[in-house]
Order: sequence, then C-alpha cells, then structure tokens
Amino acid sequence: MTAPVELRRGRSRSPKTSHLPWQAILDGVMLLLWAAMLGRFIVTGQLYLLLHPDYAWLAYLALVLMTLMGLGRLWQVWQSTKSPRRQGAPRSQEHIALLPRQISSALLLAVAMFGLLYSPRPFTSETAFQRGITDVLGQTRSRPERFVLSGAPEDRTIVDWVRTLNVYPEPDAYTGQAIQVSGFVTHIPTWPENFFMISRFVLTCCAADAYPVGLPVSLPVGTPRPQPDTWLEVSGSATTETLDNKRQLVIGSPALTEIPEPRNPYEY
Amino acid sequence: MVQLNNGITLFFSLLVEAMPFLLLGVMFSSILLLFVDEQKLLTIMPKNVMLAALAGGLIGFLFPVCECGNIPVARRLLMKGAPTAVAIGFLLAAPTVNPIVFWATWIAFRDQPEIVFLRVAFTLIVAMSIALIFSTQADMRPFLQDNLTQFMGEPQPSTSRPSSPNGSASISAESEISPLLQSGTFLMQSPGQVLQLDAPPTQVLAQVPTALPPLPSRLRMMLDNMVLEMRELGAVLILGSAIAAFVQVAIPRETILGLGQGPVTSILAMMALACVVSICSTVDSFFALSFASVFTSGSLLAFLVFGPMVDLKNVSLLLTVFKGRAIVYLFLLAAQMIFLLALMMNLYGG
Repeated sequence: MTAPVELRRGRSRSPKTSHLPWQAILDGVMLLLWAAMLGRFIVTGQLYLLLHPDYAWLAYLALVLMTLMGLGRLWQVWQSTKSPRRQGAPRSQEHIALLPRQISSALLLAVAMFGLLYSPRPFTSETAFQRGITDVLGQTRSRPERFVLSGAPEDRTIVDWVRTLNVYPEPDAYTGQAIQVSGFVTHIPTWPENFFMISRFVLTCCAADAYPVGLPVSLPVGTPRPQPDTWLEVSGSATTETLDNKRQLVIGSPALTEIPEPRNPYEY
Repeated sequence: MVQLNNGITLFFSLLVEAMPFLLLGVMFSSILLLFVDEQKLLTIMPKNVMLAALAGGLIGFLFPVCECGNIPVARRLLMKGAPTAVAIGFLLAAPTVNPIVFWATWIAFRDQPEIVFLRVAFTLIVAMSIALIFSTQADMRPFLQDNLTQFMGEPQPSTSRPSSPNGSASISAESEISPLLQSGTFLMQSPGQVLQLDAPPTQVLAQVPTALPPLPSRLRMMLDNMVLEMRELGAVLILGSAIAAFVQVAIPRETILGLGQGPVTSILAMMALACVVSICSTVDSFFALSFASVFTSGSLLAFLVFGPMVDLKNVSLLLTVFKGRAIVYLFLLAAQMIFLLALMMNLYGG
C-alpha cells in the first residue's frame, strides 16, 4: 500500500530514454491474451462451466472490447515507432494506482496465461455437501410460478423433479411414476448404506452461485454403492422412504447406467 | 486438490462475470473524462447537500453498470471535483438504482413488487444518509488514497487557469475560496508536490477544459485512459475475486445459511452471504430469488441492498478510492442501516 512513494520515483524517470514503449506493448499483449483466454473458454464450451448461458453475451462483449483495445494499443505503438514526433509515444503511466503498474501488468498477464492453460472443472459431490445438498429436497430455490412442467414424468430432469416436489411435496402422490434422470453420485453420511443421492448443480448466473439439487436412490440391500462423482443415468420408479426422519420421494428399483460426464454438467 | 480446483473455477467465474462490467465502467469513465465538460457538470449539481446526495444516487440512471463499473466513474467524479455528497451517493446507490438492475430485479421478483421498489428506496436512503455523514467532513482528503487526492481539488469553475503547466504551481488563494470544493490546501505545499508540473496529457486536459483537443486525439486519449484504468482496476479485481473465491471455498455456504432463518438471524446470514458471494448487482437478484422461499423478505432485501455496496470483491476496488479507515466506516454505516431497515421490513412489513 505504499505505492505513491514507489510511483513518484517511477514518474521522474523520463519515458523518452527508451526507444520502444514497452509498457504500451505489454498492455496491448495483455489485453489480447485476455481476449484469447475468453475466446478459448467460449470455443471449448468451458464458458458454460463458469457462466449461465443467458449471460454468455457478457463474455462476448468483453472479448470484443478487449480485442479492440489491445489492437488499438498495438496500433498506437506501431504509429509511434513509425513517426515518433507526430504521434508521441502512447501514454502508459498514470499515477492514481493502488498497485504499482508493474505488479498490475504482471497480475493481469499471469491470470490471462493461466486461464489459457487451465481448464475449469465442474464442481463435485464434495462441493455439493458444502453447499448444503442434504436439505435441498425440502426447499424450493426457484419460484414455482416461473416454470412449466414437462409432460411425462420420465422426461423430467432432477431439477424438474425437485421443483415439482416443491409445489406438491407429498411423496405418495408420485408413487409408481417412472423416473429417468442423470447426474453424479453423492454419498450422504447420515443415510443407510444402500442409499445415495443422484445430484446436479443448478446455476442462476455464474459458478459462484451454483447450488446442488438431488434425488435419493435406493439400491437393493447388499448392492455396493457407486463411487461418489460417478456420472449415472438412473431409471426407476418413485417410492416413498423415510430418510433423516423425513418422508421423501426415492427412486426405487433403479437401473444404473454409467455415462460420461456431460459437456455442460449444470442445469438451469 | 478438489478444493483448489473449485477455488480456481470460482475465481474465473467471478472474473468472467465482472470483467465485462469493469470494462464498461472504464469506458464510461473515459467518456466522462474526455467528452463531458466538468464545469457544466458541476454547475448542474444541486448546491444543497441533501439534493446533491440524491442527484449522485440518480446519476446511476446514466451509467447502467454494476459496482465494478461504478468505481472508476465515482473516482472520476471525485477527480473532476464533484462534491463529496454526489460522489458517495453515486458510489453507493448507482449499482442498484439503474435501469438494468431495476429491470433484472423486476424480472426476478415480479410477483413481489415490494422487493423491487423497496430495494431502490432502501438503497437511496442508505446511500443518501452515508453521503450526508461523509459530507460533514469538510475535507475528504484524509479519507482518500493519496495518489487520488493529488488530482483533486484544483479545478474550479471561476478560476482562470494558466495554460502552461509550469504556471499552475502558483495558483493559490483563488482556489481556496470556492464554495464548491473543500480544496486547495495541497497547493500550499512545497512546489515539488504540485502535480501539474508533469501531469499526463489527460490530466492537464482535465484542468484546462478550454483547450479540448480535436476528436481523433480525444479518441486516442480515451483509449489511453481505458487501457490505464483497465490495467489498474483489472488487477485489483483479480485480487478481489481471488479473495472472494478463497473465502467461498474455505467457509462452506451451509455454515452461513445455517446462521439461521429467524427475523434477525436471516438478515445477518444474507448480509454475510452477499459479502462473500460477491456477484454483480446486475445479476444478483436472480441469485437472491433462489433463496426467496427459505429466507424472509427483509433478509432478501438486505442481500440486494448490501451486496452492491460492500462485498469482498469490491472492497479491493474501493481501496483504489478510499483509505482503509473510510471503507470501515462505509461498511459499518451501511451494514447497520441496512440491518435496521431489513429488520423493520421483517417485523412490520410483512
């Protein structure tokens, strides 16, 4: 936080001594790298691990703005090296910064390069715990008025089921209905050995607010539970069981099929 | 390892969401710098502190961005010599009182219109009160970052400025008597600290508004300024997002929500959540919606009003304007007032 002292020293150094405006070049490269990082997230579909599709335009907008700014910056550098007297070097120092500009540039460059290399990972069952999957079934996190049920019960996703249950929680009302859902496996420690949760994360705008929903699955006694985080398609029929002292809708007599992790693991 | 991956994913998620708003804010700030004559801006500002605070809050209608985007603009307002009440009112209210956020909140809470309108009303009340409290401080500079105050205070509508940068060291008594600014004292310091001597072109420009350059060079300066602010605030945003991501991974959300769902505890829980989750005001209403049936209306309002004013991500951005002490005051004042308003809503509103 003692930036001002540092900065004043920087100011006294005349920019005219160096031939190339390195800071401006660095800025341009940094902006283009950021644009490239966003571009990579968009092209590889990883953007959907970070943002709700409704807000993807934000990333597009940033991509365009950063590309324009980066190109503009480099164009300025090009102009100034061609005819230094007419244009003057692009101004690249201002001293209202909290951080010294070297650190700012380094941070931005480092994050852009890291983002170009790193692949965001979808959240796992461990996070589902952390974010409170256990009591999700009983509560609604979306306004029931805002959704329309898809027709056949077997077409409903986990989220559809949870929303349906929020509107009408009595599990007996659904007994015998066919359920076919896909999601990842979460083990709930307080449940008996032959139960697990088939779960999904729901996004409202970005990964920071992802919340888990899930349906309990009951296996025949003696069947080993699948490993946590395995992606499964579960088809079975609705029954009622008492878990955690609460009567709940449970997928009974399930057929489990292992599936690859979907490209977009979230639901909305 | 899983935690680390989650943290990094969260970090990028916050960045990808906030960076576009920061870019927009930087763009607005640069437009304000180069295309808006601050003398006109200052003359249309109400003289009355109360009205000035309100005006500051309502400027948000011109800058439809979230808190990440508003901080560069608020900083520019301060540098352009806007009264404290205007700048603080803007800083606190504009992230919420703007058309996009209003529209988003409306979409999310259509069937609870009281939340939409009370969000705006509470924000204005809190922002104006804090603006009034801060404007009793005659000289804001002890609260502001040094490197920002160096650019403040000098421009005055009635002062004739020498066009040569070297001459500005000698501006003195005239600038101190202006009623508009609490300023001028730093010019009495040693000449070595007078910044106009080698200020960058846009700063000189900001002080000599009569010498507006032609459009192409203004556009060039706008790009310069955008890149500079983007570099500086972008780096700060990175730090803020990193902290917010770390806290989210370190403190399970369940712990926060487990704080309670009573009339008092739910408000505290949602305010803590707003602070930690750090999502932008333009989208936070959809997030709040997901808690609508679990939490009290008052606590949802507390989330919607408090989050845009203070959260982990924008504390670092606020640090580019204010010193730590002022942010603590801001935080405490806002938290207390919002808590009380939300509690009133819970106890009597519902």
